[in-house]
Amino acid sequence: MNVSNAETWLHGINPSLKLGVLIVLCIVALFIHDLNYMMNITIGVLILFLFFTGHSIKRILLLSIPFCFIFISTSSAMILFGQGETLWFEWGLISITEESFMRGLLVGFRALFFAALGLTFSLTTRPVNLFYSLMQQVKLKPKYAYSFMAALRLIPIMMEEFQTIRNAMKVRGFERGKGIRSVYFKMKSYSIPLLSGSIRRAHRIAVAMEAKRFTDTRDRTYYYEFGFSKMDHGFILYFIILLLAGFYLSIQFPLVSI
Amino acid sequence: MKKGLKLTDILVTIVIAVAFGIVYILWGSIYYSVKPLGLHLDQLIYGMWFIAGPVAFLILRKPGVALLAEIAAASGEFFLGSPWGLTVLLYGVVQGLFAELVFMTFKYKKFNMQVAVLAAIASCLASVIMDFAYGEIGALSTWNLSLFMITRFVGSIFFAGVTAYYLVKVLEATGVTNLVRPVSNKDYAELDQK
Repeated sequence: MNVSNAETWLHGINPSLKLGVLIVLCIVALFIHDLNYMMNITIGVLILFLFFTGHSIKRILLLSIPFCFIFISTSSAMILFGQGETLWFEWGLISITEESFMRGLLVGFRALFFAALGLTFSLTTRPVNLFYSLMQQVKLKPKYAYSFMAALRLIPIMMEEFQTIRNAMKVRGFERGKGIRSVYFKMKSYSIPLLSGSIRRAHRIAVAMEAKRFTDTRDRTYYYEFGFSKMDHGFILYFIILLLAGFYLSIQFPLVSI
Repeated sequence: MKKGLKLTDILVTIVIAVAFGIVYILWGSIYYSVKPLGLHLDQLIYGMWFIAGPVAFLILRKPGVALLAEIAAASGEFFLGSPWGLTVLLYGVVQGLFAELVFMTFKYKKFNMQVAVLAAIASCLASVIMDFAYGEIGALSTWNLSLFMITRFVGSIFFAGVTAYYLVKVLEATGVTNLVRPVSNKDYAELDQK
């Protein structure tokens, strides 16, 4: 996502490091089974998401709408149909127990945690910067990095082509068709031209790149250079403190008793 | 012959994958519009999220393509701001890996519908394993869990297996696949003077 916005300290962090920290956090979160702890660290991430992405609060709230859906939908199945001992409510197939309710909340908060982390990342990182940094710090092969960057640049062209096909279909009156056959026809007439066009374009780009002597050597020069700074330490420190403080608070002052 | 994927293969794979990344994003809203209909109907369309791997492999027919495609599709989805955030990246890697393993067991020599369906089932299995860790689905009551599994497997076979196969079959008719597939002995034989 690339929309103009103010730059915050989160923008200044080395993109590879940011991604690495996020992946570690997500793997850690898979092993947290304590609801209080999960809630505490989710709040810590939500603070970053709400106040430090540099986007207007209106846009942030708009982006938060899917969060609520995800929270409700992930937790509801577990709450309504989960297993448990202490029965609270039963109606036909639905049985809400204390255990299923708590586990539902845990799953919901975990989904929220992942979502907030991911969106914070994509709101504060330009893909181009990420791939340049991955080439320099993680030694990602240039042919992968540049392919990704080229592919991301093709997205607007794909959108435009999609719109063209749509307009063409509208002019010819195919939009109004109903029934399963029409759905099949529409799927085919959108996907095939879009895919084959994209493949041809990708192939042409690759040939052009190789013709201009694109090579996969590691000792190349880069237009954007990335290193590490003090802010990177701050970023890591923030999450270490969050994990420790969250754990301490979950034991000393639990929000819900289990 | 040099080993590994060439720039052309990688670029084509990633572009296909990013196109599916857009589909994945749009699919999310469809997923949520059928979710409230009740009992795991949403799982029937879950299989769409495995389609990039089999399609890319069936088009390019090279090792490593399925894994790369699924990772690229997931990261495309991630960059465009998926509400699931990093989850899609983790799921994508595991799903791609499982699909890749299926193609590997056939030594990258089979391109029929059966192998696409098997890859779809493998990706589905990967997603279920991830769901046990992430969504704690193991704690659902038994009838609910089995319904969940059946619908998801049926959906994956349909979307990532059968649909992927026919999609590539139609694409073959456009001739675009000849651009990117490795040359076979048959192609060389056609060049021989008779």
